[in-house]
Amino acid sequence: MTTTPTNAAQPEVSDIDTSARCPLLILIGSAIMWLVVGGVLALIASIQLHTPGFLACCPSLTYGRMEAAQETAFLYGWAINAGLAVSLWLLARLGGAPLRAAGLASVGAIFWNLALTLGLVGIFAGDLTGFAFFQLPAYVQPIMFVAYAAVAVAGVLAWTGRRNAFTFATQWYAVAPLFVFPWVFSVAQVTLLFAPVHGTIQAVVAAWFGQNLGALVLAPFALAAVYYLLPKISGRPVRYYDYAGHAFWTLLVIGGWAGGRQLIGGPVPVWVATTGIIASVLLLFHYVVVGVNLSGALCPRGSLALRFTAIGLKAYVLGGAINAVTSIRAVAKFSQFTFFSVAQTQLLLDGAFTFMIVGALYFLVPRLVGKPWPSSALIRIHFAAILSGLVLKVGGLFVAGWIQGGDLNHAAVSFPTIAGDVRMWLIAATAGQVLTLLGSLALALNFARLLVVRAEQPAAELFRPPAAMEVPVS
Amino acid sequence: MKSSPLFFLGLFAALALSLTALVLATNAQYGSLAPFADVTAGAAFPQAPLGLAARGHMVYQDLGCAACHTQQVRRADFGHDKERGWGDRQSVARDYVHEDRVLLGELRIGPDLTNFGARAAAHGLNAAQLLAFLHNGQGAMPAYSFLFVKQLVTGQRSPEALTIPGSPDYELVPTHRAEALVAYLLSLSADHQYPETMQPAAAAAPAKGTK
Repeated sequence: MTTTPTNAAQPEVSDIDTSARCPLLILIGSAIMWLVVGGVLALIASIQLHTPGFLACCPSLTYGRMEAAQETAFLYGWAINAGLAVSLWLLARLGGAPLRAAGLASVGAIFWNLALTLGLVGIFAGDLTGFAFFQLPAYVQPIMFVAYAAVAVAGVLAWTGRRNAFTFATQWYAVAPLFVFPWVFSVAQVTLLFAPVHGTIQAVVAAWFGQNLGALVLAPFALAAVYYLLPKISGRPVRYYDYAGHAFWTLLVIGGWAGGRQLIGGPVPVWVATTGIIASVLLLFHYVVVGVNLSGALCPRGSLALRFTAIGLKAYVLGGAINAVTSIRAVAKFSQFTFFSVAQTQLLLDGAFTFMIVGALYFLVPRLVGKPWPSSALIRIHFAAILSGLVLKVGGLFVAGWIQGGDLNHAAVSFPTIAGDVRMWLIAATAGQVLTLLGSLALALNFARLLVVRAEQPAAELFRPPAAMEVPVS
Repeated sequence: MKSSPLFFLGLFAALALSLTALVLATNAQYGSLAPFADVTAGAAFPQAPLGLAARGHMVYQDLGCAACHTQQVRRADFGHDKERGWGDRQSVARDYVHEDRVLLGELRIGPDLTNFGARAAAHGLNAAQLLAFLHNGQGAMPAYSFLFVKQLVTGQRSPEALTIPGSPDYELVPTHRAEALVAYLLSLSADHQYPETMQPAAAAAPAKGTK
């Protein structure tokens, strides 16, 4: 039951970390840049929801495109870049060997971000596909597929070339998205864009892709980090570790099916929605096991990185539970098509994913560059800002969705009236968006300073014991 | 877990399972669904959109209208779609067979548009009024003034142009995109009855090939 992933005698900063420095810094730097850009776009979209006249002057800034752009910047810019960085680092570390194909990964990372930039320009120009989570224009998607695969090669090589045959839960979760994403991305490209399937099968495929991206790509990236950080930082074991494998395979086998819950009552075969509901409920097993496994992370005891992780983990389990409840038809009748479903998505993306990954970045970046974070105050500001931002944003949207769901089910309530009823809560969500952006700026500032300041002491002395690693020692 | 091949085989199988069901099986089930040939009406339904309306669908897509509007009516006992007048029957897969890009939508910040054209006709809403609505916006809907060009009236007024209160010398001429979008919206109608949309009691003859 007690499992510690690495040998305690291993030096804290090693050749393994420095071997991965170039591709990882490209990935992390781009991720943080996209987090800030996406935050600005999300703020604009959030204001437009309650003040439709805001920046309504030109087609590029209209809400429909802004929303698609902010979602794309978050998912493909922040989430995938940061997730890949964390995944490669964990696989190299736990593999016990320097990262191979690091040059290829760097090239892949550069092309990924160039293509994404082009894609965002395309979205603003009106080339969005219209499918949620899959808005990138068709002309950048194949480049992004190849670029992702190039980065993933390094991770897979780190897995196959590992020194220890036995693998830890972190490695399963870290390697799975390297394999899942290219597959679902290419299938979606072919069946939605290049040789589109007919009629509402497109909606089924889009829901399947979105579900896979969230549950089988982004969530595993984040969980990989937590399974590693918890024992590493706190010294506490992963509780009931024997069940971790069951939780992993439950997610992998069942996770992809749950997309059908978005299509309840829609013009698709009823079995698609029904299997989606069953899958969402069965996934509760995964969330419970992960929650129990990692419950040691819920009381961080002074570790700044673990404070992020703890919030992320709570959001993850809560989000899974809410998804299961709202997939039931009697509840979906009210929550469907409202801000309630937006809040659910944000709880899992801005809450669970971002908090868990940021916790990992605070731990790994100092090891990557051999220097401690220049300011622990900025880390504390980041934490306070994004936590209060999350509560305001997700809380505001949940209440707005609740009101909207009630109003929609009274045929006499007109749409301008509904807009007036939810306005105050959408303004609260905008305030949350402002705080989130401030937090992201604190991270960006800290990261930029970390890159430019010079290390004053030999790095190795700074990096033990583990508790001192994610905050500056001075 | 020690065996890499076994691990990757597991990943492969796990993904193949949901892919087979949700992508391949749905395609096999109704990928070749065709319009319904109605003998009494002497035509096949749904009918393919005409040129301008078809281009309007692209405007609908590129402005991201689907971020706030759905195009799927739920059945009468599931939500209040029917009471809102969005459609007398549930949307079915056959309604979408002509669409190159199916945008069902996930949020109802604005009303459902499945039967918008039929609704507009019933309420006497014409293209000129809809253009004015697009230009001004209402409630949570922004004003799409960029779909119009303000110009000096020279000679006769343009036929579709909107007047500007207070400045009689100028007129707002809808761009081609605005006209396409309006044509598309007014063409939206999915109220034809198919075997699969009829109530079991109403359908006298057993509906073949439907569930």
